Amino acid sequence: MAFSGVFDDFRQNLDEYNDRRERLIKISRDVTNLSKKIIFLVHRLMMETASGGTPDSESVAKRSRDKLQEVQSIYARMNDEVPDEQFWRYHQTISPGLQEYIEALSFTHYIQYGTLITYGQVRTSLSDDNGVPFFPLPLEDYLLGLSDLTGELMRYAISGIARRGGRAKAGEVCAFVRHCKADFERLCPYVRGLSKKQVVTAQSLEKIEDAVYAIVVRGSEYDLPPEMLDEVIARTISSFSSVVSKQKPGHRGRGSDDEYEDDY
Amino acid sequence: MVGQLNKIHSTPEKSIPALLDTVQPTLLSCQETSATLAALIPPNQFWRWKDMWSNSLRTAVFSAALVQYLGNGNLASLSQVSETLGIKQEWKDRFALPVEDYLHGLISLVNELSRLAVNAVTLGNFEEPIRISIFVKDLFAGFSMLNLKNDTLRRRFDSLKYDIKKIEEVVYDVSLRKLTPQKEELNTK
Repeated sequence: MAFSGVFDDFRQNLDEYNDRRERLIKISRDVTNLSKKIIFLVHRLMMETASGGTPDSESVAKRSRDKLQEVQSIYARMNDEVPDEQFWRYHQTISPGLQEYIEALSFTHYIQYGTLITYGQVRTSLSDDNGVPFFPLPLEDYLLGLSDLTGELMRYAISGIARRGGRAKAGEVCAFVRHCKADFERLCPYVRGLSKKQVVTAQSLEKIEDAVYAIVVRGSEYDLPPEMLDEVIARTISSFSSVVSKQKPGHRGRGSDDEYEDDY
Repeated sequence: MVGQLNKIHSTPEKSIPALLDTVQPTLLSCQETSATLAALIPPNQFWRWKDMWSNSLRTAVFSAALVQYLGNGNLASLSQVSETLGIKQEWKDRFALPVEDYLHGLISLVNELSRLAVNAVTLGNFEEPIRISIFVKDLFAGFSMLNLKNDTLRRRFDSLKYDIKKIEEVVYDVSLRKLTPQKEELNTK
């Protein structure tokens, strides 16, 4: 056959590309999976510590960061897989995992410091010991990852309302997400897919706003400072749950979704 | 350039070299475009931007390969095409000719040759279809060796068999009616 030699090379070339792509898809999936678990972990920890006083965001962030290390080491290993000049070739393959990682990282960052993580901080987290980044972190992925953060914050704010101090927190988160949405708006034309995520952000924001509205309205019915209100509710709940636990052991009588129920 | 090359369908075999000469300057002008692109792309970002021009690049590959085939009847290799288009090896991280785009260009070549086979006969050139048939079959065998995933390259590869069928029919017609040169010679003897 006339061209078998040449086509042999082509086959090798294409096979190598496809195999590497498959491996990267797997890595990306692993990262997504791990990041999702981290986000749930943070939510769970914040809820758990809530029942026993104010949440200790420092220790939550520490545990989350330990987990994030695992993701970072996955990226460190992936670095060998992708030669520098080919990074953009596989960018589409990598980016879902990367965005999920940025979401988990920025959520942890917010819990710890109450601020938005910067591009530089994300990049530093994905660098080796000498501070050399594993790969050029795409700005698009940074922004899209942050856009996902707003959804997590919504969950965090609303499930936290039942908690001591959660009302004030919800107000903070509301303002924060509102700022994010406003600032992202003008970046929409430059980043593909951001406008779609903005719609989701808007929905999340609306949910938080509704919740905050309810707090303000109900709070105004009683002429008490917020801390007192927290105190009253906490007492009611504890006396109620001690009665319930005598009657039906293990039944708490409260679902996580009915976040307004503690207002009776 | 492709417009100019379209004339091959109505150009007798003898004037093909002259026609190719007129295409050559346009083909070589691609070198300037390549250099401009390579200068524009930051290091290591070739794969980020390549989708912007891959269609044009495939057409350029097709033209280069067609010119080469018509010129001396053989297949332009990847490195030959790169050279014709002025793509330099040292630009590897900024501008290169990926295998995929090269193969796309070759499929366009086969599409075009199946048309040429028909039109060559119309112009009284009965040998051309047979040459094309051999060339395309070799090329098809080459493509069959690749493990293609389900993308546009795969779909275009699947379309090759229709081109082969078309060429086969022409060859069949030509040989059945004893229009091929050897048989003509036999007849005259």
